[in-house]
Amino acid sequence: MTVRTVERPLAVEQRPRTGRRRQRPLAGLFQAAVTPRVILIGMCVLYVVPFYWMATTALKDNPELNIYPPTLWPQAPNPGNFVSAVRYIPFPQFFINSVILTAGTAIGAGISNPLIAYGFARIRWPGRDLMFAIVMATIFVPFPVLILGLFDVFTKLGWIDTFLPLIVPAFFGNPFYIFLMRQFLLQLPIEISDSARIDGARELQIFWHIILPLAKPAVAVVIIFAAVAAWNEFLLPLIYLQDESRYPLAIGLQFFRSQHNVQYNLLMAASTLVVLPVLGLFLAFQKFFIEGVSVGAVKG
Amino acid sequence: MRSFSGRGWTASLICLSVVVAACATGGGSSGPPLAGCKSGTTLATFWTSHTPPDSDSLKHVIDTYNGQSTVGCVKMVQVPGSETDVTKLMTAVRGGSGPDVYMLDRFTVAERAAAGVLTDLTKYGAGNLSSKYVDFAWKEATFQGKPYALPLDTDVRALWYRKDLLKAAGVDITPLDPANGPVTIDQVRTMANKVNQQDASGAYNVIGFVPWVDQGWHYTWGFDFGGSFFDSGTCKVTPNDPKIVSAFTTMFGDWAKALGPEKAQTWVSSFLPPNNPPQQWPFLTGKTAFIITGDWPLNWVKQYKPDLQYGVTYIPVPKTGDTPSTWAGGWSLVIPTGAKHADAGYDFMKYLAGPDGMKTYVTETQHLPTWKALGSDASLYQGDHVFFATKLLPVAKSRPPIPVGAFYWDQLSTAQDAVVRQSATADKALADVATNTNAKLQQFCPLK
Amino acid sequence: MIAVPRRLRLGKKDRSSLLVALPFVGPWVIGFLAFTAYPIYYSFTISFTRYSGFGEATPIGLTNYQHMYADPLFWKSMYNTLYYVALAVPVGLVIAIALGLAMNQRVREVAIYRAAIYAPSILPVYALTFIFIVLLNPRFGFLNYVIVTLGGPSINWLGDPGWTKISVVILAQLGAGGPALIFLAAIRGIPSELYESAALDGAGALRRFVYITLPLLTPVILYDLILGLILGLQIFTPAYVLTQGGAGAGAGQYVAGPDNSLMFYVLYLYKTAFQFTDMGYASALATVLFLVSVVLALAIMRTSKSWVHYEVT
Repeated sequence: MTVRTVERPLAVEQRPRTGRRRQRPLAGLFQAAVTPRVILIGMCVLYVVPFYWMATTALKDNPELNIYPPTLWPQAPNPGNFVSAVRYIPFPQFFINSVILTAGTAIGAGISNPLIAYGFARIRWPGRDLMFAIVMATIFVPFPVLILGLFDVFTKLGWIDTFLPLIVPAFFGNPFYIFLMRQFLLQLPIEISDSARIDGARELQIFWHIILPLAKPAVAVVIIFAAVAAWNEFLLPLIYLQDESRYPLAIGLQFFRSQHNVQYNLLMAASTLVVLPVLGLFLAFQKFFIEGVSVGAVKG
Repeated sequence: MRSFSGRGWTASLICLSVVVAACATGGGSSGPPLAGCKSGTTLATFWTSHTPPDSDSLKHVIDTYNGQSTVGCVKMVQVPGSETDVTKLMTAVRGGSGPDVYMLDRFTVAERAAAGVLTDLTKYGAGNLSSKYVDFAWKEATFQGKPYALPLDTDVRALWYRKDLLKAAGVDITPLDPANGPVTIDQVRTMANKVNQQDASGAYNVIGFVPWVDQGWHYTWGFDFGGSFFDSGTCKVTPNDPKIVSAFTTMFGDWAKALGPEKAQTWVSSFLPPNNPPQQWPFLTGKTAFIITGDWPLNWVKQYKPDLQYGVTYIPVPKTGDTPSTWAGGWSLVIPTGAKHADAGYDFMKYLAGPDGMKTYVTETQHLPTWKALGSDASLYQGDHVFFATKLLPVAKSRPPIPVGAFYWDQLSTAQDAVVRQSATADKALADVATNTNAKLQQFCPLK
Repeated sequence: MIAVPRRLRLGKKDRSSLLVALPFVGPWVIGFLAFTAYPIYYSFTISFTRYSGFGEATPIGLTNYQHMYADPLFWKSMYNTLYYVALAVPVGLVIAIALGLAMNQRVREVAIYRAAIYAPSILPVYALTFIFIVLLNPRFGFLNYVIVTLGGPSINWLGDPGWTKISVVILAQLGAGGPALIFLAAIRGIPSELYESAALDGAGALRRFVYITLPLLTPVILYDLILGLILGLQIFTPAYVLTQGGAGAGAGQYVAGPDNSLMFYVLYLYKTAFQFTDMGYASALATVLFLVSVVLALAIMRTSKSWVHYEVT
């Protein structure tokens, strides 16, 4: 892997790959245009089914939910379910909370992980490899082990029932993202830094002015992964937030189920609304995103 | 794409300060702590995992309380959770940020009290209320002889039957009229088998009666066969009581064998999958003619199928002449350890779990009360609820209030599942339950 | 790390390089001490006690660890988890590579396919499991519809203990879009000249995949294996949501699926801690899981030297 990948355009490459294909246009056309589409559409059907089910159930009225076997398309689509779902829980408030948590986490991850990874990838210091081994080892700690101790820490800090326990740790790095960033930074030629050092630049300046601009795609990946994870995070807000005015959407979904009832169609309507922003984000940033992944992860 | 320019930093700083500001809001002022309260009252927080419609009713009670109380002013918070999953309460109490009042599944009171999560209510004089509540509910609210909770509502189980399906199969349904007393299990088996319907592949479309689903629990049938689950004298659980073994064999092992265990389980997975919406409850959709369930589906019938032709009767008994039984669960109010406004909290508890609050709550939610005087007040109930309140509640038993109740429940469920699937005999499965549970229970013995 | 023991006698150069690294690695060190090391230390100490999480912890030495040996649920949950990992990790790897290859097809509207394949991995797991239960219904579910139409048997996915873990493996594949993106990126990073010259030599598509693509993907495969192993050993949410009976008009009287076949290790740990309030035993369970994870990961890393290629040879 080289940095070259960063500039590799993701747009469809239409040029024929071999001379052979050029000689057999019809077969070549079939091979290039039809076969991949058939395979892709087949795969997509499997992956779209859950979405389809969610969206169509969201449109069904209560009586239709007790039809066996379930109807594939709502008999009388009722978009009003989306309105009911938004009213059933304090949706706008939960939405704002989700946005705050997601933005805070994404910013924290975007700042801390490149910084920390830089320290592991581009500076030599005694004990570095041992320390990096510890970073990797923390990946293996099952979260339930940490719950009680963490709660004590946050209690002492007076952070319970605030967004801080959910956001602040992101500013101290996450082993997965540190690893991803480090793999990327290792690939950048060391000469870039060396020449800057000779010019008398300090390490933070090198990081800031030279390395970070080159690492933007990888930073984007970290931010997007962290944002998606924060958007859907369930257990942490469940534990640390207490007042319902601070709940995010991921927790709000639980309110559609009660001890003896499930508002099934409303749950699906709300879930659809929860997913849409992330899906939009993915579509909008797909190109940038995929390039970013490519540079980071290849050299495992 | 100039990320991390100066502008980016400013933006992120603004974001952060928004976050910090959002966290820092709140705080008190003079006057009433909340709108609708009297000034000079103390703010108490109340957590419940209930959702509408139950939480709506709780809100009504709280509004009334706040309007009249000179002691407390209650703020209700809906927290995610379920009967036995109290992660949130545990962590919050530990962190000193728990609520002042919590709505707890009553059968776990002993367990949580043993763990040190609950405040002993003796100093508030809760002990004086013992005679006001139905017996089993009060027993569940105590641990080592001390009160840790005030009982709220309760629920009981019964046998529901579909008149239309049974008639269509040529069954005479008069014996099912509760006026004739309880039917026997053999009678129900004969009726149910006439309703069974299989398709060409042998898969069941309709099964007359599957006694191990919905509320057909180990406790339901164990009590029905006269079994006893706990011996307070020896401080040991007794799931291998021969009567419970016989209940497991008859209602789970043999019943599943007669239907074909795999076919029966396919029916269960098809019509009663996890998280099934109530609209698809097989009793409503006509996939079964009998089901053991509680009183809460009365609401489903009203909401989703008001014209359903059904009846409700006693849980069938092993032999003619046996006294009918059922078991009751329900909720209670507790003060978690470290509550900051426990006095105001208790004042509210006394109201909600007292005659006025409980009356509003059970009338609106159509749950059953544990306040003795309300149980006999037939004006509180509509339709079939009268039967639940007046005939079943008096014969209800309850799960033993032991500090390993949730563990014991899981163990019994595992045994029930093994017996249904024919992978273990009732004897063997229940002996394992006894061994595992008693090992855990030992540390708390003796129990008062 | 900051307080270096005097005996080590770091040279001047070492000390200055430490100072240079400090602003970068410092945040991690603080975060590690506060949010990981302290909680782990705490949990490790209480694994030698009987503790409900409140009041006093009673020291009981190694009793919790001894109890594990005799605890059938410990063995069951360990077995279920390892079984799941053994199945989910290789299947997940193959699916992710296949999806990555598919996402790399050169068709104009490929962005739409990529989004469609990636989409389920951003669904909230809570909603996804609800949907999944419907799709796995033995009589009316989509999956059995496809299988029966193709002439296969009707499977009781969530009711037959032999199939429940496979159901969760399938559920996990709905999230394969994430790893697939990483593979897609890696595939796109392979220089096209390599394929062109191979094609000129007459190598077919399969040979090109085996001799060029696959070796160059091995670093990502290693990354994916480790990631899959960690996530697999800590599988919790699907089992937690799939097995919550009682709510709604739900379901079988299971604790964690038929025959406890979905009692995964972390689910058991969670129940022990927060339902049975036995923090001491839960902490002991956690310590053991940590050790097992590290041993398995080290084993994979060890073997990786023989099959991971960082350059084309």
